[in-house]
Amino acid sequence: MTTLTVKDEDPYGHGIGGWLSHVGEVVFGIPDTYRRELKLHRRRTISLTVLVVLLVTYPVLNSAFLAAFSRNVFPLPLPDDTVVTFMMIFGIMAIGLNIVAGFAGLLDLGYVAFYALGAYTAAFLASSHWDSISIVFLANVTPGFPGIHLPFWIIVPMAILVAGTFGALLGAPTLRLRGDYLAIVTLGFGEIVPVVFRNLADVTFDFHIGPITIAAQHLNLTGGPLGINPIDAPFLPFANLTFNASAGYAPVYLGLFLLLIAILFARNLERSRIGRAWMAIREDELAAEMMGVNTLRTKLLAFALGASFAGVAGSLQASYLGATTSDFFTFSTSILVLIMVILGGIGNIWGVLLGAIALVYVDKTFLPYVGQQLQQIAPTLPNPAQFNFLFFGLILVAMMRFRPEGFLPNRQRAAEFAGAHTQADVEAKVDEIVAVDAVAEVEAAIAEDPSIILDNLGPPPGQAEASGDARAPETIDEERDL
Amino acid sequence: MDQVIQTFIIGLSNGLIFALVALGYTLVYGIIELINFAHGDLFMIGSMIALAQIAGIWHLSSATSPLVLVGVIVLVIAVTMVITAAINVTIERVAYRPLRNAPKLAPLISAIGMSYVLQNIANLIAGPANKSIDNLFPTTNLLSVFGITTITVTFQQVFVAIVTIPLLIALSWFVDRTRQGRAMRATAQDPDTAGLMGVDVNRTIALTFLIGGALAGAAGVVQILYNNVTVYNLGFRFGLNAFTSAVLGGIGNLNGAVVGALVLGQINAYSDRYLSANWTNAIVFGVLIAVLVFKPTGLLGQQLADRA
Amino acid sequence: MSLGEPGGQPAANTLVPAAPVGDDLLIRSRAVTKRFGGLVAVNSVDFDIPRGSIVSLIGPNGAGKTTFFNMITGFYTPTSGEIVFDGRPIVFKQRNRLKSLRPHEVAALGIGRTFQNIRLFGTMTALDNVRLGANVHLKSRWWDAALRTPGMLREEAENRESAMALLRLVNLEDRAHAWARSLPYGDQRRLEIARALATRPKLLLLDEPTAGMNASETRDMTSFIRRLRSELNLTVLLIEHDMRVVMGISDRVTVLDYGTVIAEGTPDEVRRNPKVIEAYLGRGAADT
Repeated sequence: MTTLTVKDEDPYGHGIGGWLSHVGEVVFGIPDTYRRELKLHRRRTISLTVLVVLLVTYPVLNSAFLAAFSRNVFPLPLPDDTVVTFMMIFGIMAIGLNIVAGFAGLLDLGYVAFYALGAYTAAFLASSHWDSISIVFLANVTPGFPGIHLPFWIIVPMAILVAGTFGALLGAPTLRLRGDYLAIVTLGFGEIVPVVFRNLADVTFDFHIGPITIAAQHLNLTGGPLGINPIDAPFLPFANLTFNASAGYAPVYLGLFLLLIAILFARNLERSRIGRAWMAIREDELAAEMMGVNTLRTKLLAFALGASFAGVAGSLQASYLGATTSDFFTFSTSILVLIMVILGGIGNIWGVLLGAIALVYVDKTFLPYVGQQLQQIAPTLPNPAQFNFLFFGLILVAMMRFRPEGFLPNRQRAAEFAGAHTQADVEAKVDEIVAVDAVAEVEAAIAEDPSIILDNLGPPPGQAEASGDARAPETIDEERDL
Repeated sequence: MDQVIQTFIIGLSNGLIFALVALGYTLVYGIIELINFAHGDLFMIGSMIALAQIAGIWHLSSATSPLVLVGVIVLVIAVTMVITAAINVTIERVAYRPLRNAPKLAPLISAIGMSYVLQNIANLIAGPANKSIDNLFPTTNLLSVFGITTITVTFQQVFVAIVTIPLLIALSWFVDRTRQGRAMRATAQDPDTAGLMGVDVNRTIALTFLIGGALAGAAGVVQILYNNVTVYNLGFRFGLNAFTSAVLGGIGNLNGAVVGALVLGQINAYSDRYLSANWTNAIVFGVLIAVLVFKPTGLLGQQLADRA
Repeated sequence: MSLGEPGGQPAANTLVPAAPVGDDLLIRSRAVTKRFGGLVAVNSVDFDIPRGSIVSLIGPNGAGKTTFFNMITGFYTPTSGEIVFDGRPIVFKQRNRLKSLRPHEVAALGIGRTFQNIRLFGTMTALDNVRLGANVHLKSRWWDAALRTPGMLREEAENRESAMALLRLVNLEDRAHAWARSLPYGDQRRLEIARALATRPKLLLLDEPTAGMNASETRDMTSFIRRLRSELNLTVLLIEHDMRVVMGISDRVTVLDYGTVIAEGTPDEVRRNPKVIEAYLGRGAADT
């Protein structure tokens, strides 16, 4: 007898203690997990390992001999500390956009809006911008200093809150639109938000609500085209470390720390009930809704969560550079992150990470390097660094044409791109044909002898009839996907 | 009050140029449900090609005799239209047709890539700075003939109307009355059935891109002769406005595209004049978002069912 | 294709909805009409489903059966009429317009369904398809997921168990990790039912569950549906074209033609009803 009972065990114990022990299991199980991954996905695991090792040891390698090599023997396109920090920043964004576009399948062309919101959150809460007040709280700033100065570890959650809230606000009325319209609307937000930041440098208003008056004259709300600077850098009091642009490779590790948390969250979300809901929506939104998935709310969640990742990246960027301005936030930035996701492998966390690192490298180090070398050889040729989007545009066209699932494809997305749609069309057509044939057969039989219908309305026959053909099973090789 | 009328006239001219470009968007969307992101940049390329001819080949200036001027302009329009039409057909063949069966968003992403490619090619060849030509038309106010001095209607504005309106009429005739136009409408409704009825769907789509490209080219010529200046990222602003026009009027609907464009021409003019050019783009985006969220079928309704 | 041994008592578990209380009618619909522009797809249909019964909805192609299904599940909003499920209205008036619950809300109330043309999530595994069905009853939120809290882990483990149990029920346990679209046709149909069962429905709507099956597969499906009713306390509404199935397991049969109910009653009554014969064969055949 098949039972539908549910085991009553509680494998993880109760409460915090249970969770900590589970976490401990996971952490200590890392060597075994690694070994298993190595066996199952050899190439991927090895390349990721190499990458991580390179990343972590790069500062040492660089100062030890790479830089000297590049100076004296042969110039190498070595990324400097700023570039590697931006690899982390864009890595966080790529993972965030991967949630929106890769997991949930929503094309967001205005992702830069949330990047900007994160940056300006840091600018508002950790600079001297509001010079008429002074709020200093646990920050590396003398009390009484004008402006609001909160520490970085408060800024980041605030940025998450701001970006996530705006994501929810923007998404709520628009996520019911179909894919290409949604893309355009998000593009609009991506344009409007920076424009707002650029233009609110001279705001005058005068509101009277009952006894309350809210007024301002020539209020510089957002710093205008010049932006806001300086912005406090992240500061670690115990080690007396400041993670700004002049701090060498230290900010890379701060970025890496945030990046690892981002990867962890994204991975956990992917393998949960909400991750499955996202997959289902992407595959067949209607069926998902019919199976009880609140599709609007689930899409909204993807959109808002993705936005919050960009908020983190923005706050890190602004704090690291010590300044922000709306010029940093253009449509091209949104597209750049999109290319990272597409190139790397849409839906695959490691893929998009690789895409982020590769693209930041190409954009900020490799192309300028080529430009420099070209300058020396043939000064009249155009500088490729200034025409980076010519390459990126071509990459987009080429990727869509030849490998839309990216280089480290998520297997499901690869299957979707490889003709799942034509497959469904074919199957639908076959359905139609079978149905039409079946009806024709029955009609012909009845035309010959109407009493057949009465036989068929009778009780089920006890004998086996070889009537009709069994639909040939279409067994495609099953694929194990653990 | 004169201000208002003057702004209206400016808006009219802009609107007509938008209309030519908007038709390209709406035609393509109607037939393959693709938002052709690169269309605005094709328009920019048209203006660049026109500039190259006007300044580089014919060396036109305000001193050129009117007869020669007219003749050359007609030639430039024809040549530019042919070139942009050819470019558009090629782009369709290379970047969109192979993606006919891909998931819906793939061609859109490809179009974004194409947009950047076109911009950068223009930047490569013409440089990042504004490129301008001399004012070719006499600067007299045509209304001064009637004794009106407070409102200006320039030769350029009349020129815009003279070129765009016949083209719009010609397109309308083509789509309604010719066999190929019928094929386009049929393919827009139901490509599979149209194919079964003997329509060569691939050729029809190519034809759509050809026409859209030609119109964009014409719009480019008109633009450079009207504004006397062009730049490699001109396509963004015009593309945005033209696409919003198409959506406002009801994407897929040709009359709607023209109506929407005229409305948007006015919005642009009044925003530039009474607010500030800094905000105009944001306002246009706002209109776009508002239409998509509240009335996605646009003012004149869609000709296609919304295949959600 | 065996589905395990029949018989045995229903197990005490969380997958079986509680014993029915109150109204004896699980679905009560009155004067339900659906117009698409000028076309009247469903015309003032009164339709009741008693709790615990197996009811079939039959009729020639295009009679409006699937449209009616779609209204019960909230996908379409009726033009007029009322539909009440287990005492709760699915269709209600809001500001003078008829509104319907959204499909996911209907699913949460306890209506599960399968589709005529199988709509599985093809690139998800069989197990994930079934697990997805349970989403409507899961309680962990996104932050529980992001942090992998004990509550979420527990719920995930339970969900996995329940899903595997359902796969066992439909004899797909060994294909749990196969992609849904790689499964043979019959397996896909059963998987769809398992997925619908994961939503813990009180009412199961099956849209042509035996389409494309041969006689022995049809027999298996028929007895399976009977078991669903007896072991899982389910009420079942079928759309079917195979009259042997309809006549074999239905407690009651309703016949639609051109959107109108032309007959309702026990299978025997319906079988003899001249209007039904006429609907299928045209005028004059009833006289044969």
